[in-house]
Amino acid sequence: MNPVYLIIIPLLSAFSIPLFGLISKKLVKFIPPLAMLFNAVYAILLIPQILKKPIVVLMGGYSLPFGINLFVGPLGIIFTGVIAIIGFIVSFYAINYIKEGDKEKYHMLYLLLLTGATGAVLTGDIFNLFVFCEILCISSFALVADLGDKRSIESSVKYLIQGSVGSGFMLLGIGLLYGQFGTLNMAHLAQIITEKYGAAQSIPIDLFIPFVFVIIGFGIEGSIFPLNAWLPDAHSSAPSTISAVLSGLAIEIGLYAIIRFVFTIFGITSILPALAILGLITLVIGEITAFAQANIKRMLAYSSIGQLGLIFFAISIGTSEAITGGLFQFLTHAFSKALLFLSVGYMIYRTKSMEISSFKGIGKKMPFASLAFLIGSFSLVGLPLFMGFSSKFIIVKSAILKNSTLFNILIMVVLLCTIIEGAYFFKVIQTIYFKKSNNIEIKKAPATAVIAFFILIIIIIGLGIYPNEVFKILQCGATELLDKSQYIRSVLG
Amino acid sequence: MVYYIGAFGLIIIGLYVLMVKRNLIKMIIGISLINTGLNLFLISVGFIKLGTAPIFSKPGLNPKIMVDPLPQAMVLTAIVISVATLAMALALAIRLYEHHGTLDMGKIKDQKW
Repeated sequence: MNPVYLIIIPLLSAFSIPLFGLISKKLVKFIPPLAMLFNAVYAILLIPQILKKPIVVLMGGYSLPFGINLFVGPLGIIFTGVIAIIGFIVSFYAINYIKEGDKEKYHMLYLLLLTGATGAVLTGDIFNLFVFCEILCISSFALVADLGDKRSIESSVKYLIQGSVGSGFMLLGIGLLYGQFGTLNMAHLAQIITEKYGAAQSIPIDLFIPFVFVIIGFGIEGSIFPLNAWLPDAHSSAPSTISAVLSGLAIEIGLYAIIRFVFTIFGITSILPALAILGLITLVIGEITAFAQANIKRMLAYSSIGQLGLIFFAISIGTSEAITGGLFQFLTHAFSKALLFLSVGYMIYRTKSMEISSFKGIGKKMPFASLAFLIGSFSLVGLPLFMGFSSKFIIVKSAILKNSTLFNILIMVVLLCTIIEGAYFFKVIQTIYFKKSNNIEIKKAPATAVIAFFILIIIIIGLGIYPNEVFKILQCGATELLDKSQYIRSVLG
Repeated sequence: MVYYIGAFGLIIIGLYVLMVKRNLIKMIIGISLINTGLNLFLISVGFIKLGTAPIFSKPGLNPKIMVDPLPQAMVLTAIVISVATLAMALALAIRLYEHHGTLDMGKIKDQKW
């Protein structure tokens, strides 16, 4: 079992799509689900092996720390698994959903986006991380503009300008790190930094400057306040399938890169309370602005900012349990937000409007999509029986166990934000189910969409009732982040 | 030292252009300036004055005065990425002009918070 296939297969199938397009235009849309199904199965089969011992793959056969390596640890395989599962479900849904535009380019860019995401979470080299992030970014710029209308082009331009400034900052930080420490390998870099600075409480200035550049760079990608101005535009004007992938996966890659840098490479734990407050501001701003939106996709996009802030907050608490909770919240957000965007996709398609007020009484006309929206929003708000309950419960518990006044106050704000979140989701649910209906003709729901909804619903409820198995894997991921010396040892031997 | 000043000068000019100018083409030029500055910065990280190429082409070459080849490989990758971004940005600029009839980002305000 070689984890390099997790990157090669999607990349190869992405570039084979135009060739298959020469044979038959209808064949094209089945390639992304197949490639992602392969990735999902392969990632799940790899899990038992990785929990025993992380796999390190040397690319090109150069010995470490000179060559580029892949590090497939618990954290990497969690992200890869989620990317593959969501990628599979969304591409399955897209078989019927994507009707207009150039399908070949859409499917090719979609697979490239997922390749970039998978590569970024598996790599063990910071420059390689930058390259995979750029693959992800450039394909998402193009996918946001996929519809080609006035709104999407404008959002794509904004996203592109901010995204490329972000990647500039990333590269600047990476260049500064290379200039100082003479290596690009994450483990080697971590080793040198530990040897040079030890467990110093204050952050030395020559670490702090590259750290800030890296945080700004990946913060734009991960849409941390105040770097998230592009997100609501980009996520609301892309096709719904792309919004699901961008919200559920792409912004989390920025987050992954930040936590990798903070915990593994720099090992700066004294900065964590500041990051927690940054996460909390992101959460508050996201939820309050989401409450004020009348456009459903913008509402969901702002809610993504809020959720991301929550994940960032949870991870910045810094205890093992809190990081587990943060990773769990990542799973919840990825699955629930994908379900919400997918269900909203067909609602917009039928009513031809994105305004929440136009969804009056749609619950009786479109039972499956409405049920999917209901379950997705319940899970995101954190009602019992759904995934969101377990994850939010762990976060609240670990913040209280931290036993500091600061975190006690912060967690109160988090709970307040959950109430705001509940308020705007229930407002939409009320409109869908209890308002008098408009004239929408009833059409049969496409089978692909219904199957995609049900897979996601089963995952959400299943993990809500039996979180234990996944919880164990997530705990290994948290241990990987906190135990820096273990990471260095498993790569450099 | 002078290379670092030049590199950071270019990056700062690029950021200034992005912050002050409203014309999309000028903003794209700003992005391009930032990328050029970054490439210059990366090259100067590995630069040694009067250095040679890191190839043992003839006997008696001192490894101490060889320039570091890794930043050059990084710059090669970074140039490719920035070309892709630039091409994408210019293509989008054409489409934006078709829709709005202007490239002034201050006037294009369909989407707000």
